[in-house]
Amino acid sequence: MLELSAITSAFGDALTLHSIGVIFGGVLLGYLVGVIPGLNRSVAIAIAIPLTFYMSAYAAIAFLIGLSKGTAAGSAVSAILLNTPGEPSSAATCLDGYPMAKNGQPRKALKVGLLASVIGDLLSTLLLIVVVIPFASIALKFGPYELAAILIFALVFIAGMAGGSFLKGMAAGGMGVILGTVGLDPETGAMRFTFGYAELMEGVPILPLVIGTLALSEMFVQLDEYRRSKDGSSIRLTNNPDDNLSYSEFKRTLPTIFKSTGIGAFVGALPGLGPSVGSFMAYGLAKRSAKDPDSFGKGNPNGIAAAEAADNAVIPASYIPLFGLGIPGSVSAALLVGAFMIHGIQVGPLMLRDHPQMLFTIFAGMIVASLIMLAIGWYGLRLFAKVTSVPQNIVIPVVIFLCLAGIQVQGYGTFGLLTVFGFAIFGYFLKKFDYSFVTFLVAFIVTPMLEMNLRQSVILSGGEISILLQRPIALFFVVATGLLVLHLLWSSYREYRNRRSLSSP
Amino acid sequence: MIPDTQMLRKNVWSGLGVTLVTCWLLAWLIPRYGGSGMAFGMHPQRLATLGAWVMLLCAIALTLVSFIQLRKQRVTLFASPSLAVIWHQLWPFLYVLLFIVLAIYLPLTWLAPFIVGALVMLLGERRWYVVALAAAVPTAALYLLTVHLMRIGVV
Repeated sequence: MLELSAITSAFGDALTLHSIGVIFGGVLLGYLVGVIPGLNRSVAIAIAIPLTFYMSAYAAIAFLIGLSKGTAAGSAVSAILLNTPGEPSSAATCLDGYPMAKNGQPRKALKVGLLASVIGDLLSTLLLIVVVIPFASIALKFGPYELAAILIFALVFIAGMAGGSFLKGMAAGGMGVILGTVGLDPETGAMRFTFGYAELMEGVPILPLVIGTLALSEMFVQLDEYRRSKDGSSIRLTNNPDDNLSYSEFKRTLPTIFKSTGIGAFVGALPGLGPSVGSFMAYGLAKRSAKDPDSFGKGNPNGIAAAEAADNAVIPASYIPLFGLGIPGSVSAALLVGAFMIHGIQVGPLMLRDHPQMLFTIFAGMIVASLIMLAIGWYGLRLFAKVTSVPQNIVIPVVIFLCLAGIQVQGYGTFGLLTVFGFAIFGYFLKKFDYSFVTFLVAFIVTPMLEMNLRQSVILSGGEISILLQRPIALFFVVATGLLVLHLLWSSYREYRNRRSLSSP
Repeated sequence: MIPDTQMLRKNVWSGLGVTLVTCWLLAWLIPRYGGSGMAFGMHPQRLATLGAWVMLLCAIALTLVSFIQLRKQRVTLFASPSLAVIWHQLWPFLYVLLFIVLAIYLPLTWLAPFIVGALVMLLGERRWYVVALAAAVPTAALYLLTVHLMRIGVV
C-alpha cells in the first residue's frame, strides 16, 4: 500500500533545487528542439542521452522526461508560426494554428496551444500515476508464461499499429529481435554474433544504435530533403491588443481540452499508436462535435486545443505499459528504457518492488516538469518565435557533429563511430523504405526480457504446450496474438482490394 | 500511374533485399556465429532463428504482393534514379565517413570546427561570421565538456 510519507518524500526530492534545475534544463532544451523544424523528440533524446551519463539515475530520467515533454509543447510553436510542425504529431496543430496566426492572432494561438499542452500533459501524468501502481502490482504476480505471451502480443500489436505496412512492421521487429540476441548468452555463456569484438559481449551498445538509427540517419534524410525544401517565413509576434487570450476565450476551449486529453491518454496507453494518431483523432472528434465545424481549418482555437492536448497527453500515458509491464510503447519510451539500462535499473513492474522511491520521485518530477513547461512556454514566447527562424543549414551540421561527439565522449572510440555510422545507414533505409522504426527499436529493447521469459517457460513446462491451459492469462494473450495477426492480414487484404477497386476505371 | 506506384516499387526491392539478407542469415550467419553449446530449454540460436524466419516470411509476402500489384498496373519494375540524385543522397554519408576516418588519427576537438564549418558552407552559407559561430560554439562546448570530464576523472 502506498504510504503518504513516500509521496511527500518523493515530492521533497523532486522539489530540490538540483532536481528543478535538471528538469528546467530538460524542458528548455526540449522546447528549443521542438521549436526547430526538422528536429524531433527522438533525435533530441538520442543526442541528449550521452549528457546524462554522469548524472544520477533520477536526474538523468527527469532530464529526459522533461526534454520529451518540452519537445511536444515546443513543436506547436513552429506549427503555428511557420506552418511547419516541429514534430509530425503537431501537423494537426498547423490546420488551425497557422490560419489563426495569419489572421493576426499568433500570440493567442500560441497561448491556447501552450495551455492545452500543459493541461493535457498534467492530467495524463496524473492518470499515469493512478493507473500504473495497481497495474504494476498485478504485473508483479505474472510468471514467465504470462510475460512472454504479453511481450509477443505487444510486439505484434506495435507492428500492426505503428503505421505503414504490417508485413514491414513485422520484418523490422524480426530484425530487432536478431540484434537483441547479440552478445553473451546468459544461460550457456555462448558468444552470439560478437565476431571476436569484446565491445559486443554485452550486446549491441545501445547508444551508438539509437544515435545512429534515430539522430544521424534523420540528418541524412533531412539533407536529402533540404535540396527540395524552400525556406518558409515565420510570422512575427506583434503588440496587437486583439492578440491576447482572455479568460472567457480560454474557458470555451476547456471542454475540448478535457475530451482530447482523454483521447490522447487512451491512444498513448496502447503501445505503438503514437501522438500523431492521438492528435488527429482528437482534432477529428472536436471538429465533428463542434457546432460550427466549418470554422475548423480557418483558425478555430478549439482545433489547436484539441490537437495539442491530445499530443501532449499521449506521452505520459505511453509510460503506462512501460512502468506497468516494462514494454515501451513508443520510440521515446524505448529510449528511456535505454537510459534506465545505462544507469543499471530495470524498468517495469520490478521498479515498484526494487526502487519504489525512485518511481514516485520520477512521477513527482513529471508533475514538476508540466508546471515548468507552462512557465517556460509562457515567458519564452518571443524567444521561441525567434528560434523558429534558425535555418536548416546550421542545424543539420551541428546535430551531425553532436552525434559523433556523443559517441566519442562516452569512450566508444573508433568502434563506436563506425557502429553509429553503420546504424545510420540502416536507419536511413528503414526511413526511406518506410519500415516501422518503433517496432524495430522496441523489439531490440525487449528481446533480452522476452528470451529470458521464453526460456523459463520452456524449462518450467518441460516442452508441454498444454501447460497454457492452466495459465488463462497467458492463453488469452496467445489466442489474442493469433487473432490479431489474422485481423491485421485481413485488414491489409481489404485495404488492397479497396485501393484496386478505386484505381480501376 | 497511381500515386503509390513508387511505394510498391520500393516494397518489391526492399522486400527482395530483406529476403536475400535473411537467407544469408539463416543459411550462414546464424548457424556459424549465433552461438553453440549445451542448453536447457532454448538453444542460444533459437530466438534469432525465429526472428529471421519472421523476417523472411514477411519479406517474401511483401515482395510477392507488391510485385503482383505492380504487374496489374502494368508498371515497370525499374525506375533508375539519375546519377545526380544518387550523388546527392550519397555525399552526406561519404562526408561523415571521411571525418570518422580522420577521427581515428586526430582528436575530435581538432576536427570539430571543420566538420561543422565545411558542411555549413556546403549547404550554401556564405556569411563568414555565421560559419565561424556555427563552427566555434559546438567546438567550444565539446572542449569544455572534455575538460570537465578529465577533471572529474572520467576521460
